[in-house]
Amino acid sequence: MRTLTKIASAAMVSIAMVTGTVAFAQDITIAVVPKVAVPFFDDCNTGAQEAATALGVKYQWVVPQNTQGATQVKIVEDLISRNVSGIAISVNEPKSVEGIIKQAMDAGIKVVTFDSDSANSGRSLYIGTINKQAGVTMGNSMAEALGGKGKIAIVTGQLGASNLNERIDGVKEALAAFPDIEIVATEGTEDDLAKAVSVTEALLRGNPDLSGIFGMSQVGGPAVAKVLAQKEFADRKGVIKVFAFDDLPDTIQGVKDGYINGIMVQRPVTMGRLAVESLVAQIKGEAGELADIDTGVTVVNADNIGDYTK
Amino acid sequence: MPVSGNKTAPSEKPASQFWHSAAQLRHVREVNVLVALIIVGALISLFTPYFLTTNNLMGVSRAFSLTAIMSIGMVMVIITGGIDLSVGSAMGLAGLVTALCFDAGFSSAISVSAGIGVGMVFGVTNGLLITAIGLPPFIATLGTLSIGRGLMYMITHGVPVTPDTPESFSVLGQGYLGPVPVPVVIMLVLMVVFALIMTRTRFGRHVYATGGNEHAARLSGVKTDRVKLAVYTLSSTIAALAGIIGFSRYLSAEPASGFGSELDVIAAAAIGGASLAGGVGSVTGAVVGAALVGVIANGIVLLNINTYAQQAITGGVILIAVSLDVIRNKLKGGSG
Repeated sequence: MRTLTKIASAAMVSIAMVTGTVAFAQDITIAVVPKVAVPFFDDCNTGAQEAATALGVKYQWVVPQNTQGATQVKIVEDLISRNVSGIAISVNEPKSVEGIIKQAMDAGIKVVTFDSDSANSGRSLYIGTINKQAGVTMGNSMAEALGGKGKIAIVTGQLGASNLNERIDGVKEALAAFPDIEIVATEGTEDDLAKAVSVTEALLRGNPDLSGIFGMSQVGGPAVAKVLAQKEFADRKGVIKVFAFDDLPDTIQGVKDGYINGIMVQRPVTMGRLAVESLVAQIKGEAGELADIDTGVTVVNADNIGDYTK
Repeated sequence: MPVSGNKTAPSEKPASQFWHSAAQLRHVREVNVLVALIIVGALISLFTPYFLTTNNLMGVSRAFSLTAIMSIGMVMVIITGGIDLSVGSAMGLAGLVTALCFDAGFSSAISVSAGIGVGMVFGVTNGLLITAIGLPPFIATLGTLSIGRGLMYMITHGVPVTPDTPESFSVLGQGYLGPVPVPVVIMLVLMVVFALIMTRTRFGRHVYATGGNEHAARLSGVKTDRVKLAVYTLSSTIAALAGIIGFSRYLSAEPASGFGSELDVIAAAAIGGASLAGGVGSVTGAVVGAALVGVIANGIVLLNINTYAQQAITGGVILIAVSLDVIRNKLKGGSG
């Protein structure tokens, strides 16, 4: 009997060595690394933790102290030496983590990116909002609200931010099907609320026939809502259709007060859940064909504001 | 320009002589920048009918008023030969602390005082780091800038603080006195008060003397360390006031509020004639400098100029305006 156990365990060890993976759920450790401590990632943590509990795997949430690329590189180095089974990471600087992600994959650790990708790192797949697709959804929502006709402006954040530019590309792609909709201006705000407010005021004054505004980054929604709430622009409320990104409290309030028609809300809880599920499946060798996953956006408006899920 | 240098004590002579000529130069500079401002405004209004409307002009003034208010403190620091990189952090943190006090249920008086207190702590810290320890102002205020930002992220975790506030508090940022927004009124009052302080008081003379020639100033009895401590404290406290006004305007204390604004503020002071080498500059010049940048930013949006070209155009207009000013001074035989 004892011999049998020995043989059995020896066999299992050799299987584990051959496949380079660990077969038992309780031996699997998944580490999830966000960009930085902001509420968006708290939601990711919630989803990831629930998935880990449901699958019976060990779970670590490792938060970088700053947004420098080097900090995440150090964290992944530590995770490699601690020999975790899988890593999900939202990348601060796509280039700087390429080397260390390759190193982790070479060490037999499964790596996925979520929310923010490092496409050339060799990670097995990316899970998150495909920003261009979100922009298409946003553009179509605006076209519908305007009845396919009108002059619109885009209020974005940092001009160089690739996620915002992808959203803008998506908006333009969607609006290309509506020749009577014209984009009259695109304005940067450096993601600063004060700048966004003064830019929006000037846009409204300089374009009396404006009929729509896109808020591409998270300052857009609060800024446009605050401007439209001013006495000077009282007659523009409802005339200007507004679509924004991210469900910050002021943006939600803007929808409730009727200044904002719709918010594109990403699904961080879903991202976290899918990241852990995909990693565990890969580790167990149960994952099929690997392909990037678009978690999509929920369009939150006055009708579903009370009960949307992320 | 009536310069009240006539009452200077004999012991202050070297410093006051310097100050006398600097005051005249400074006067020319602020008039020239004002002329540039008027020309830019006229050009914009040629191409868009929406610039010269009461609503727009008041809106623009409100938009640049916070930068202008902070530049009043900054220009005094620059005149002493220093620099204050921490104004954006002082502004943001003061607004945030005020918001947190409202959130905790304190009255307007306590919340505003707490915000102003944050500014004073910032300023005294800067001042002591520079005078007592002897750190270069750039390093000292870079350090407090970073600490301030860090604290804001630690406190907010990246989420704006949006407490309920009494109606009376929002007057500070959102109210009007006749057609003029309250922040603009505050800006104008501070401008007049500090312009008088800098041109008509002993303290003002000492500020110029400290930056003009610190050694000479000290020999002539100016307590330069005290002057520096005072200007850094004023700079941060004024920045804190700007932060509280900003919070009152948006009723939302943003985690990144004020970040990067130090550059706008320093630029306003420099465009308005302040020399980063110290000894030269004026409060009204700084405010007009902030106005010039604000009007250009507004015009660019009104004219629907391509967003990617905006920063380059802003930079170009500023360089042309200030170059014309410097060239005019040279032709007149003025120094510097």
